[in-house]
Amino acid sequence: MTHARQWIGPILALVLWEGFAHLFASAFVLAAPSAILLYLYENAGLLTRALGVTLANAAAGFLIGNAAAILLAGLAIALPRSENIVRALALVVFCLPLVATGPVLRILFGPGAGPQITLAALAVYYTTLIPLLVGLRAVPSDWLDLVRSYGRGRMTALLRVRAMASFPYLVAGLQIAAPAAFLGAMVGEFTGAERGMGVLTIRAMRDLNIEMTWALATVATAVAVLAYLAIGYAARRVLTEEPPVILAAPAAKRRNLFSSIAMVTFSTAAILALWWVGLDALNLSSFFAKRPDDLVDALFLAPDATQTRAALAAALSETLIFLFPGYLAGLLAGATLAMAIILAPSLANTAMPLAIALRSVPIITTAPLVVLLLGRGAVGTVTLIAIMVFFPTFIACLHGLRQAPGRATDVMRSYAASDMAILRHVRVPAMLPAFFAAARINVPASILAVTVVEWLATGNGLGALMALSASLSDYDMLWSAVVLTTLLAVLGYGLVGALERRVLQTYAPEQLA
Amino acid sequence: MSVEIICKGLAKTYTGGVEAVRPLDLTLVAGQTTALVGPSGCGKSTLLRMIAGLEDASSGTLTIGGAPAADTLARAGLAVAFQDPSLLPWRTVRQNIELALDLARKPRKAADIDQLIHLVGLDGFADTRPGALSGGMRQRAAIARALSTNPDLLLLDEPFGAVDELTRAQLAADLPGIWEARGTTTLLVTHSVTEAVTLSDRIIVLSPRPAAIVADIKVDLSRPRPSNLKALPAFQTHVDATFAALSHGVADTLPKAAQ
Repeated sequence: MTHARQWIGPILALVLWEGFAHLFASAFVLAAPSAILLYLYENAGLLTRALGVTLANAAAGFLIGNAAAILLAGLAIALPRSENIVRALALVVFCLPLVATGPVLRILFGPGAGPQITLAALAVYYTTLIPLLVGLRAVPSDWLDLVRSYGRGRMTALLRVRAMASFPYLVAGLQIAAPAAFLGAMVGEFTGAERGMGVLTIRAMRDLNIEMTWALATVATAVAVLAYLAIGYAARRVLTEEPPVILAAPAAKRRNLFSSIAMVTFSTAAILALWWVGLDALNLSSFFAKRPDDLVDALFLAPDATQTRAALAAALSETLIFLFPGYLAGLLAGATLAMAIILAPSLANTAMPLAIALRSVPIITTAPLVVLLLGRGAVGTVTLIAIMVFFPTFIACLHGLRQAPGRATDVMRSYAASDMAILRHVRVPAMLPAFFAAARINVPASILAVTVVEWLATGNGLGALMALSASLSDYDMLWSAVVLTTLLAVLGYGLVGALERRVLQTYAPEQLA
Repeated sequence: MSVEIICKGLAKTYTGGVEAVRPLDLTLVAGQTTALVGPSGCGKSTLLRMIAGLEDASSGTLTIGGAPAADTLARAGLAVAFQDPSLLPWRTVRQNIELALDLARKPRKAADIDQLIHLVGLDGFADTRPGALSGGMRQRAAIARALSTNPDLLLLDEPFGAVDELTRAQLAADLPGIWEARGTTTLLVTHSVTEAVTLSDRIIVLSPRPAAIVADIKVDLSRPRPSNLKALPAFQTHVDATFAALSHGVADTLPKAAQ
């Protein structure tokens, strides 16, 4: 009976969808499920070939990116001193805007699958690295003492205890990484590939082909959800426990002002040095490959420096106007729905699997749909950012709310406290650490969302500026915009992290230990 | 092999100035079982961890069998049963025991492992993962693991905390026989005075933190301990003496008005 009831919601949604699509057929925004199925049936060959190409690139990127993540995580644990720099570099690379890295990689690699595979690898390494680091660290100290008590060292502990203990965390990371690799491969295809799902998506949007746009979104969503479920299924056959819900590494240890400044300075210097040395080593044309000193020149010394700065400032303000409301709306909506589900648990049965699956749907697929539905204006942009932020926040908050200590809720119940009172006094405080972890990791995600929408739809802001300067070969502007966007993401991440530490001091001091 | 442990001026002060163990001199006689008793948080476990090489001493020296402690650690001649069973959840009871043998670079002998599993009363659970065991069963598995490597020095940090009363009595009857037969030097940290008297040859009573030795009581009871041990007047005498030393140690640290 309950099994049958689970299907009522989705079936009703499909019927309504079909009805609305026919009702608003003249508006050219919504394709009916029947029309999507028909399109898929009639173009099965075309779609299968494109999907094959994209899947192959995504798989290659998935392997390379995850191998890099596992090596880096191992390095950070084996040489603890390297962890801060590994994390800082990883964060900066994660914050690089896809909109700009795509065209840059196209120039580097030329035609072929290079950019697709690289972007897929770049999209996954961070989502795997961070949970893996958490897992490798989250080993009870007694287990490590056991290894030490038999006179064995760090390497034995890493191989015999930490590696196995972090396996569930690795799975959690891989589950998010699989759809991310697909997203990366699609973005790579946007930059001038010949075949693949990304190429078809661009074509569908350009031709205003509603059925094709929806059909592609359906296929990409199905791939993302299937990849998520397949990894979960495979893991459950091996694991003794469920993969944990991990969204972000725990907040960094509290440092004093001096060591914080030292750390930031050291990381910045390391990144600048890598940038400089990397470009020199690759022996790239200085017309295209801009070094830090080229940017100083373009932004402060060149005759048109004032105009360059003004263009960047204008684009930044256009981006921020949409970024803030979208980011906050997504956080608020995620936390609110999670609390609603705690108060009405029956909602969870249908909402949870759906939310977990939708968390992995690539923004590249949703962007054209939201633009079709809500237009290229403010509402569409803000909604897309909010959607991007919503799912991870929702899952994290629900997890946090359920982590509320059983004894504390029992005490509340023994005083006949209402569900609402328990929510307010016990569950919400227990949720705050997860909420802030989600808020932190969502800073780069929301910036990715806003720049993608600006690029694909609105034509404003930093996203459009990067796309435009790439197509005009204005590489000073492109590199400056990349640095600005990356800085915005890293700064936002740091600010939310600082706020998170304040909250954790009160609500979860053990996480700061 | 029996080893003697000699602590000279061994002390621990944590960064921040918290003094956990005052400089103390202590010799654990080879092949004997010594119990460390003291109030909660007095530094018993810190002392055990220093002897295990898991915690660095702030000052003083420690030798195990005449050699620096690090050597024993390197030879894997030591085994610890922790307060928390700390079994690896992805390994079965048998695999957890095998891990200890691997870590100590000792051969796995299925028959020996089966015998240990039988000894701690886990027959039929050898291939069960810790998640499916009760707290007491996990603790027994951890004890089997500690015994498996046939250590020269066995350190037990309240290993019977989660074990039910009946099993506790059974283990107390069976275990000393094993480590005596092998000549293992054993250090037992416990809260329970009766357990200390039942299991050990000697009881060291520690004061509240920072730990200092307030009494060194020789347990003059025959081995193996008789089944009616607790009914013997000598047993009660030892329990009373230990309690007296404990209360004396606590009283020394209380403000005058409270005494």
